[in-house]
Amino acid sequence: MHFLELLVELLLMPLLAFVIGLAMVLMMRRIGARIQRRVGPPVLQPIYDILKLYSKDTQISHGLMHEIGVIMGVGGLIAAMTLLPVPGMSGLTDKGGAITLAYMLMIPMLGLALGVGQCANPNGSIGISRALTAMLAYDVPFILVIFGASYIYGTTNLAEMVAIQQQQGVSSWGIVQMPLLALTALLILPATMGKHPFEIYVAPAEIATGPMVEMSGKFMGGLFVMQCFQLYTAGVIFTTLFLGGGVYWITFLPKIFLVVAIPMSVAYLFPRYRTEDVLRLMWKWPMLLGLIGLAVVMK
Amino acid sequence: MTALDHLLLISAVTVAIALLAGNSRVGGWLVTILYALQGAALLMMSGLGYSTLDVVPSSFSIVVLSEHLLWRFDALSWFFALITIGAGFFSSWFASGEWGERYRDNGGNLRLFHGALALNVFTMLVLLASGDLLTLFIGWELVSWASFLIMALAGGKAFGYAMRYISYAFSGAMAILGGLLLIYAEVGSFDFQSLKEAAPQMQTSTLWLLVTLFTAGFGVKMAILPFHLWQAKAYAETPGPGAAFLGAISSRMGLFAFIVVIVQLIGISRLLEMEIPFTFLDAQDLLAWIAIFTIIIPTYIALRQHDARRLLAWHGVGQTGYMLLGIVIANDLGSAGGLMHVFNYATYQAMLFMAVVAVIHRTGTSDLNKLGGLFTRMPLSYIAMLVGIIGLAGLPPMNGFVSKWLIYRSLIVDGSPLLFIGAVIGTLGTILSVYKLIHNIFLGQLRVEHAAVREAPLSMVIPMMLLAAVVFVTGYFPGLVLDWTSAVQASIGLPVLAHHLGGVSISGGLDMIWIVSVLLTGFGFGTLVFFLGGRSKRVHQLDNYAGGHFLTAETRYHYSDNFYPGLMHLIGSWYRNSFEWLEHGLISAVDTLSTAMQGLYRNAHPSYLLLAAVVFALSWVIV
Amino acid sequence: MNLLVLMIVLPLLTAFLLSIINRASTFAARVAGPLVLLATAAIGFSVWPQLSDAPIAMQWGGFQVPLGITLYADQFGLLFALAITIGTLLLWPRNSKNQLRSSSLALLLAGTGTGLALSGDLFNIYVFYELMTVVSYGLIAGRGTSGSFASTLRYLVISGFGAALALAGIALVYQATGTLNLAQLAQLAPEKLNNLQGFAAFVLMLVGFGVKAELFPVNMWVPEVYATASSRVSALLAGVVSKLALLIIMRLLILVFHQPEALTVLLVLGILGVVSGELAAWRARDLNRMLAFSSIGQLGVMFIALSIPGNAGVFAALAVMVHHLFLKPSMFLLAERWGGSIEKLAGAAKTSPVAAALFVLLSLSLIGVPPLPGFWAKLLVIMPMLALDQPLYYFGAFVILAAASLEANYLFRVVMKLYDKQPVDVPHKAHATVDLATAVFLGAGLIASVFMLVPLADRLDSIAAQATDVSIYIQTVAPQSLQSGSVQ
Repeated sequence: MHFLELLVELLLMPLLAFVIGLAMVLMMRRIGARIQRRVGPPVLQPIYDILKLYSKDTQISHGLMHEIGVIMGVGGLIAAMTLLPVPGMSGLTDKGGAITLAYMLMIPMLGLALGVGQCANPNGSIGISRALTAMLAYDVPFILVIFGASYIYGTTNLAEMVAIQQQQGVSSWGIVQMPLLALTALLILPATMGKHPFEIYVAPAEIATGPMVEMSGKFMGGLFVMQCFQLYTAGVIFTTLFLGGGVYWITFLPKIFLVVAIPMSVAYLFPRYRTEDVLRLMWKWPMLLGLIGLAVVMK
Repeated sequence: MTALDHLLLISAVTVAIALLAGNSRVGGWLVTILYALQGAALLMMSGLGYSTLDVVPSSFSIVVLSEHLLWRFDALSWFFALITIGAGFFSSWFASGEWGERYRDNGGNLRLFHGALALNVFTMLVLLASGDLLTLFIGWELVSWASFLIMALAGGKAFGYAMRYISYAFSGAMAILGGLLLIYAEVGSFDFQSLKEAAPQMQTSTLWLLVTLFTAGFGVKMAILPFHLWQAKAYAETPGPGAAFLGAISSRMGLFAFIVVIVQLIGISRLLEMEIPFTFLDAQDLLAWIAIFTIIIPTYIALRQHDARRLLAWHGVGQTGYMLLGIVIANDLGSAGGLMHVFNYATYQAMLFMAVVAVIHRTGTSDLNKLGGLFTRMPLSYIAMLVGIIGLAGLPPMNGFVSKWLIYRSLIVDGSPLLFIGAVIGTLGTILSVYKLIHNIFLGQLRVEHAAVREAPLSMVIPMMLLAAVVFVTGYFPGLVLDWTSAVQASIGLPVLAHHLGGVSISGGLDMIWIVSVLLTGFGFGTLVFFLGGRSKRVHQLDNYAGGHFLTAETRYHYSDNFYPGLMHLIGSWYRNSFEWLEHGLISAVDTLSTAMQGLYRNAHPSYLLLAAVVFALSWVIV
Repeated sequence: MNLLVLMIVLPLLTAFLLSIINRASTFAARVAGPLVLLATAAIGFSVWPQLSDAPIAMQWGGFQVPLGITLYADQFGLLFALAITIGTLLLWPRNSKNQLRSSSLALLLAGTGTGLALSGDLFNIYVFYELMTVVSYGLIAGRGTSGSFASTLRYLVISGFGAALALAGIALVYQATGTLNLAQLAQLAPEKLNNLQGFAAFVLMLVGFGVKAELFPVNMWVPEVYATASSRVSALLAGVVSKLALLIIMRLLILVFHQPEALTVLLVLGILGVVSGELAAWRARDLNRMLAFSSIGQLGVMFIALSIPGNAGVFAALAVMVHHLFLKPSMFLLAERWGGSIEKLAGAAKTSPVAAALFVLLSLSLIGVPPLPGFWAKLLVIMPMLALDQPLYYFGAFVILAAASLEANYLFRVVMKLYDKQPVDVPHKAHATVDLATAVFLGAGLIASVFMLVPLADRLDSIAAQATDVSIYIQTVAPQSLQSGSVQ
């Protein structure tokens, strides 16, 4: 039964994404630790963290919308996972392509923003204001990249993009066809993942004036889960657009881990940017690169 | 009597009843029922919306200046009429209960309000039914003055804004009149068909003139750049549901007329032939760029507003850009997206205005710096606004996403990256702006003086909830609306979009049934995960972490003013009010000329004339 | 057809007899004027049906053309003869200090106006025109304020200047042709006046008669006079008398002067009139002055309409004139109580709702909002202009349209003031019942015309057709000279 298969896929895709995301979190922490000459956490630390957060005794809720916000955040990302093609599974990629994915990824953002707003803490609202500004900053070059890829491949269907690159070999990979756009994507990757050095709104040092100021227990746990999905999403999108996606997990997994690892290693070397500097930066170099890239691609 | 006769007759009766009985609550309900009847009459013609019916004529027609004036409905008119009557129905419902009584008790003329609203619907229907260029112009003027009436109702400041509107609108109308008389001089008839046949042979220079005149004229009503200044303030000052109605549909009439004249009669293919010298652009690109600037600039003006109604109204201007963009791109995806956006936008914009008016009804203000935390007091209004802003921002699962998706997709097909980026910048700005809207009103800390605020009355909540349902359902099953837009596409001669109930059936298509189902399931899993965790404890809103400070109960802290300081730090210097300056400059120029002319009449001394007469007489004698 | 003579003579005679009647009975003197005008109007209406077949001409005093005084009545002339008669009746001077004098003057105005409309030769036209001018001095100064005297003086100087020019023009024509009879001129014009001298004569006469028709350079008297004279007199001058002057120019244009340059002159002066009038009105701070300036603008539109060659031009001009005939007096009547600063009108709609509503209606029609008659009139003007496909006419059309948006702006500024919710301290005076009733009557006429658009247009078209047919004129006035082919 095709329908049943699809249902199974839809269940499996988020699950896999979660597991891989956990591994990515671990990897990222390890990279950070190595750069700072620390040992880093043990392998199961992310799982422990989540379990700890979900089972805490003090769980402060600031009202219904606070809870719904976190639910929207996690739920929206779970749904978005079904739009990302992975080896053997294409999920809903034919029913909603790259643009749909880009907009689906804003739902968790909005949910979280609403939840934080309900916390009635002005500092939380300030954090959301910064987060949304950052989103405005990196989404413009991001959408530019999506446009370029969709134009090159002649479709917005991510699975078809993978198929095209797989059929025609490495020379047809996005990174060969449109290196400038790939570079753009790489530049904004840390920002789309909400990571160093563009994460002033969620930075540990700024926790008191960030969205997380009123998040405790399972609310924080929800944010942790979201982080896993975000890392995974960033890796898969980049791989799909530029690195030929994957037919086999054995080739696919290294690609996505690499995609997440490279910018992370470099990014840790930079100090954090202020929100307006993020804007200025994102709208200057990645945009410029992206536009030149597009001009090259479209002749 | 044809079905169209019935519709126009019922609509005229609605105006009469509204003027006679609109002052009472019963009268309000009666008028609302009459709108429903208009809707029923429209449904009698629903064949138009599904391409099973071509045209529904009206049996009324007159001959003036040897021109046969006639009125009829086609798919395009039917689609716009559906939105018009729907907007009228819900606005009237909203106004018929407690809102109307409050309005009347505060010295407003409720009778005139209902009358003006009904008149707006009636004149719009007349415009939509126009069967040739002359009736189009007549309908156009009627609509302009009817909206002027409803805008001016509030008096005071609203007078100034309405005045500004009518100055713009009438100048626009004169441009249109000039254009259609030019067509008459070229073609010799006001007939649609003759223009359509003559357009391919017209000279490019003539076409440029026509396209400029019509775009400017119709553009004034749509408030496209550079004619965007009047709209937001005028709409925002219109009394309550009137603003919802105007916001939802009024300026769409400009789009309707634009589609009829430019797209249907002159034809997009002609626009493509009209190249702008020394550039790579043609007329279509020019229009698309106007649309893009209409998206971006008003949206970012909206971001700076701190009055909820102004904010929404400015977004209304911005959203017009998307519709125009889609229509001008004119491929199957784009035009379907543009047309669908008309419907989608009307549904959520009306609802958003209603939610804001409900808040004003209860708290007395729409100042975004004087509200906050109302979610706990007015949860249903909150839901309406939430659904509305998701729609306005164009995110799934609401209907606004589908139409915007179609437009984005059409831009990819068209290969226009810059237009695409412009459209996305607009959407992102909208997200920022609408979050500020909902945050400042409903989230954050509840003010002390609003502690006792209740949910809006049922007469206001029910229309909002119904509209929310429409927004969600048409987002879930966009095929419902795409059926109508396809009929419109077929009738105006554009490529028809292949679609199904869930969305679009092309490669890299869209199936909203799946997307929304998965999203809802995702939320379900999210809930499951959430409730797997430990029990949470609800705390008072003041019980939160303030970094060592104590938030006292007397002063409520709500982060509202200058919500995006980081962004404003960067782009703040771009807000230069250039267009306001331009407008002022124009007014000053007219004023100077006017002073000069008055001086001429005041000072052209008779003695000069005497001198002239003497000189003349002398020369006469000598010669 | 002595009846036609009666139309002219009756009012004139009564005007002179009025002081004698007054000695016998004040009441009789008061009612005599209106009654005579009613009778005159009745005569006019009784003659009207005959004219649709053929115009009537008659020689006053039994002399033959070219010696006698020729009267010529076609639908066109009679229409305006009736207009001045009925207009004077409706706008009968009231409440002035010297009722007797104003009554006589009004009767004189009606009589001379009728004479002007029906005259068939240039000399009579000039005489009646001068008479009418003198009468209007009296009417304007009748208010007795220092402002009205000052404006009368200015009017006097400009009129004198105009009269001199017109006389010079007539002299030129006479020198070239040896006759002043319009029918003969119509025959002789193609060979004798189709030259520079003819053109000069036309320009002189245009400027001369243009004084009353508010033609651009010689309309400097308009704002002051309308602002200081009583509104009824302003209404008469702007609404009716200006049309009579226009009628003469139309007659000259149709019958005598066929130079294309003549049309260009008209077009340019018309455009200048529209531009200067509407712009000046935009800044006016006083309702009467605003209406005065705007009437300069509208007369400009009529000149533009006249500049369109052929039947279409006359038809268009006729439509605009008739529209204005109804509209402007009505507006001036409303301004009677609303004179002075526009700022002071705030909230006036509350005291006089009918008047305010009527003002809105009139404004809408004036700026040409469909389906009101003003729109159709404007359509008739612009349509043939664009069909000519000449740059200057395009520009003229543009000016008319742009002027309309200026008009909309300043008129609705007034409307906004009327409906303003913050009333000023000074209470507003309600309109006099007679004023308001007259204005409403005229406004109702406008509304009614919307429903009779088609027959009305047909009728105006036939009037225009009759007026533009030169051969009908010649045949009616001087059938024998047609056969002989020459006059001298």
